[in-house]
Amino acid sequence: MSEEIVVAVSGINAVDNPGPGLGVIRSLKEDSSLKIKAIGLAYDAMEPGIYLDWLVDKSFIMPYPSSSEEDYLARLFYIKDVTGLQVVIPTLDAELPLFIKGEQELKSKGIETFLPTWEQFELRSKQRLIEMAPRLGLSVPPTEQVSSYSDLLKALDRIGFPAMVKGLFYKAYRVHTFAEAEGAFYKIVEEWGYPVLVQKVIQGEELNVVGVGDGEGGSLGMMAIKKLWITSLGKIWTGVTIKHEVLLESSQKFLRETGWRGAFELECIATDDRIYLIEINPRFPAWLYFATGAGINLPARLVKKVLGQPVETHSEYEAGRLYIRYTYDLVTDMDVFQKIVTRGET
Amino acid sequence: MEKLKRLAINEEGFIFDPVSGNSFTTNRVGLWILQKLKEGKTPEEIISELPGYFEVDAETAERDVTDFLEQLRHYKLI
Repeated sequence: MSEEIVVAVSGINAVDNPGPGLGVIRSLKEDSSLKIKAIGLAYDAMEPGIYLDWLVDKSFIMPYPSSSEEDYLARLFYIKDVTGLQVVIPTLDAELPLFIKGEQELKSKGIETFLPTWEQFELRSKQRLIEMAPRLGLSVPPTEQVSSYSDLLKALDRIGFPAMVKGLFYKAYRVHTFAEAEGAFYKIVEEWGYPVLVQKVIQGEELNVVGVGDGEGGSLGMMAIKKLWITSLGKIWTGVTIKHEVLLESSQKFLRETGWRGAFELECIATDDRIYLIEINPRFPAWLYFATGAGINLPARLVKKVLGQPVETHSEYEAGRLYIRYTYDLVTDMDVFQKIVTRGET
Repeated sequence: MEKLKRLAINEEGFIFDPVSGNSFTTNRVGLWILQKLKEGKTPEEIISELPGYFEVDAETAERDVTDFLEQLRHYKLI
């Protein structure tokens, strides 16, 4: 086995809306050719990952990325000094702008990342999706951009119900009436500002692809799934692997077209004759351990790529592998809680 | 029948579509009809053969096969 590699991972909040972090760490630890020391980056002392010592070797409380970029990077440099941190895998949307902008500064201090460029990151905007989808052989549901309440009403008249009311980057509400649409519209405006998008709801199979782009138009592996059962928050609880050749080919085109670097998730809806691209997430999804369990360990491949080690890039998996999420209970004493609250680290 | 060929069907009547991720169950008769369809038999051939394998008269066989084909179409399996 090689030397110990220190990897920090965020999103260790395994709650009802789970972050991807624990799936990433579990995957890294299951690769027998890697010896990983996992650092958990948490934003709250109650994030479950802090207490799962068989996965997370040491945890640190981080400042919010939205508060101060300088403080955030300073905290990472402190972690580097204390642990010998080599690679960071941020998994939360709100962290990505900071990590992408700070890539060179982190690198200069010996902290590696493997993230999309800023230009690639911007592709997730719904407007850019509309432009890009046809080049991938995909469709986008009819969408209108609105900047006022009266525009919203006109757009809904054209699109009809049910419809999706969405922010440009974040948040999406399914609405069935004008009253619901008004509520969703103002929630988005309050949080994210204008414009707001109104999109037709497409009835079909919800299919997703997880993968990692190599930054040169190729893939470090990818896998497609269908979500079989989702929670009231829309999070996957059970799923199944599928071999949808058209969808996988479109995903390869996406990598070729964009030269995508790092983890991604494509959210699509397939009807009889079309595949609609709904979202591109520029990070691992919370269910990414599914790919590891099916034979494609994407976090381990990402770390090996970052460190210049030989990487498997195949996307061979069986259709019909089943994913079951479950809850678990842990009882522990107050030691770890006291440490993380008083010192900000375990 | 391209869609039918891709289906994974086990001997207990569990059917999995590896492209859509959908799964279905069927009974012994449904399983037999699916096998015949996969072999390339026409609905007429299947209707005429069915009474030889199961205890049904010709009229029931025709109704059952027609209904079953309709269900397969409904689930977009053919």
